[in-house]
Amino acid sequence: MIALRSELPLKGDASGRFVVWLVMVLVFMASIAVTTNAYIGALLGHWGQSVTGTLTIQIPVMLDAKDPTSTAATEKVLDVLHRHPAVESAAAVPREKVTELLKPWFGPGEAVADLPLPVLIDVRMSTSEPSAISAVSNSVQTAAPGAVIDDHRAWLNRVIGLAEGLGAIALTMMALVTGALALTIVFATRASLAEFAQVIDVLHVVGAKDGYIAGQFARRAALQSLAGGLAGLVIYAPTLGIIAWLASRIEDGILPDVRFPASLWVTLAVLPVAAGAIATITANVTVRRALSAKV
Amino acid sequence: MALVRKKADFVGDTVQLEAVGLRYADGPEIFSDVSFAIPQSSFHFLTGPSGAGKTSLLSLMYLAKRPSRGKLMLFGDDVTDAKRNRLPAIRRRLGVVFQDFRLLEHMTAFDNVALPLRIAKVSEAVVERNVSELLKWVGLEEQMQARPSVLSGGQQQRIAIARAVVHRPKLILADEPTGNVDDAIAVRLMQLVVELHKLGSSVIIATHNEHLVARFPFPRLHLNGGKVTALPPMHASEIGTAAS
Ligand SMILES: Nc1ncnc2c1ncn2[C@@H]1O[C@H](COP(=O)(O)OP(=O)(O)O)[C@@H](O)[C@H]1O
Ligand SMILES: [Mg+2]
Repeated sequence: MIALRSELPLKGDASGRFVVWLVMVLVFMASIAVTTNAYIGALLGHWGQSVTGTLTIQIPVMLDAKDPTSTAATEKVLDVLHRHPAVESAAAVPREKVTELLKPWFGPGEAVADLPLPVLIDVRMSTSEPSAISAVSNSVQTAAPGAVIDDHRAWLNRVIGLAEGLGAIALTMMALVTGALALTIVFATRASLAEFAQVIDVLHVVGAKDGYIAGQFARRAALQSLAGGLAGLVIYAPTLGIIAWLASRIEDGILPDVRFPASLWVTLAVLPVAAGAIATITANVTVRRALSAKV
Repeated sequence: MALVRKKADFVGDTVQLEAVGLRYADGPEIFSDVSFAIPQSSFHFLTGPSGAGKTSLLSLMYLAKRPSRGKLMLFGDDVTDAKRNRLPAIRRRLGVVFQDFRLLEHMTAFDNVALPLRIAKVSEAVVERNVSELLKWVGLEEQMQARPSVLSGGQQQRIAIARAVVHRPKLILADEPTGNVDDAIAVRLMQLVVELHKLGSSVIIATHNEHLVARFPFPRLHLNGGKVTALPPMHASEIGTAAS
């Protein structure tokens, strides 16, 4: 009880309410950043899993569209693939499916059916070792010199690049939010120090230590930040719900269904506590520095 | 003179100044080469006209300012350049009455008086007992739960004095403690401080009220023109003469 006694009338001052509101906004923004980061992580995991260890082999159409070499080459390549120890499975994509994929560009009807189309072979590797992939590539190239082998790495690298960029933005946002919180606490604390200079002088005269006075400011800042942080989460919850709902209305395939990891919920729950901790430390340091300039 | 005494001789002194000077910012020295010693359990008036530097001199002793030069010792401890973290322990042996009281407006009379005890982490049971007793003694039994702002000047002054003495300080420093009250109350407050002095505290009271000084047989430190002179107790016939 003694430990919680406060000689400084810090409760209802204006800078205090300002801190609560600001921390609410900051934690709201931090929640968005944290969620964005988690979503990007989950997307990357999803995409990475679905394309690593796979190859797409394209057997091009020879100059004469009806040339049976294409089929012969396909058979040859499939044979090589099936016997290769690093290959788990390999199958030509049925012509109907390729036609289906092209329909949006050529329109329905017989036009597509008559087109000379390359043969696509989906390969699932039993390993994603680069050495195994190049071994398979070499074998395929030997069997069918014109075959084009795509291990999706270029595509994946671009996706990873984009995701990393977005992740960096989220992290920058977190850093800015943390800085803004610390600055807010510094200025609010300085304002209170000025407001209560007389009371602080009296506390010093009766023998109060700097740490005791700093502790009262720190406790106040911690409680305000915790309250603001919880409020931030409370307003974030429906926001997240709305975003999830909007995302669910987007057609399958563009945004894969990914599950947020449990660590996201933990991180979100920790945000108000982190805000409280940052506020405590900042207020404490601010007060001690200001007081150390006194006699 | 006093400076040539061996250090061991000073151990018993509550306050000791050696060639102390004080200036504000870049201004001239308010006082220079001030040297005196206040022995244990003594009682002194600090006299001098307004603006002579009484408040400034007291604030050196309650460690709100540092001397611009010279040496200041409290309770045998050199505090001239003492590290800041050493000061609270020394301040807890002091009791200070400010000219403007400096009561904390958001607290009751009781909590104001309890402040030095609570800062020193005295148990709440002891706080309760000592503060109630002291407030009864100064005649504020009925006002314990009142905020200072609703009390009269005299009542506030008694709270200020009670706060300064509740922790039985070794040295009581009072700045014009009778400045805002009429003579009858002033004398009663003085008697209160004299009681504490009899219990063993050293007392220094800054005042420019000659009538008050002449009423009590205590020696004076007279501050004028930047110099301190030790004077014997004031006689009523001296009132209005140059020495005061
Ligand atoms: N904070 C301050 N800054 C500058 N000058 C001051 C300050 N406080 C007091 N003084 C000056 O110091 C001198 C002594 O003031 P003070 O100690 O209050 O005297 P007294 O208490 O004897 O009236 C006065 O000339 C006053 O103007
Ligand atoms: Mg004065």
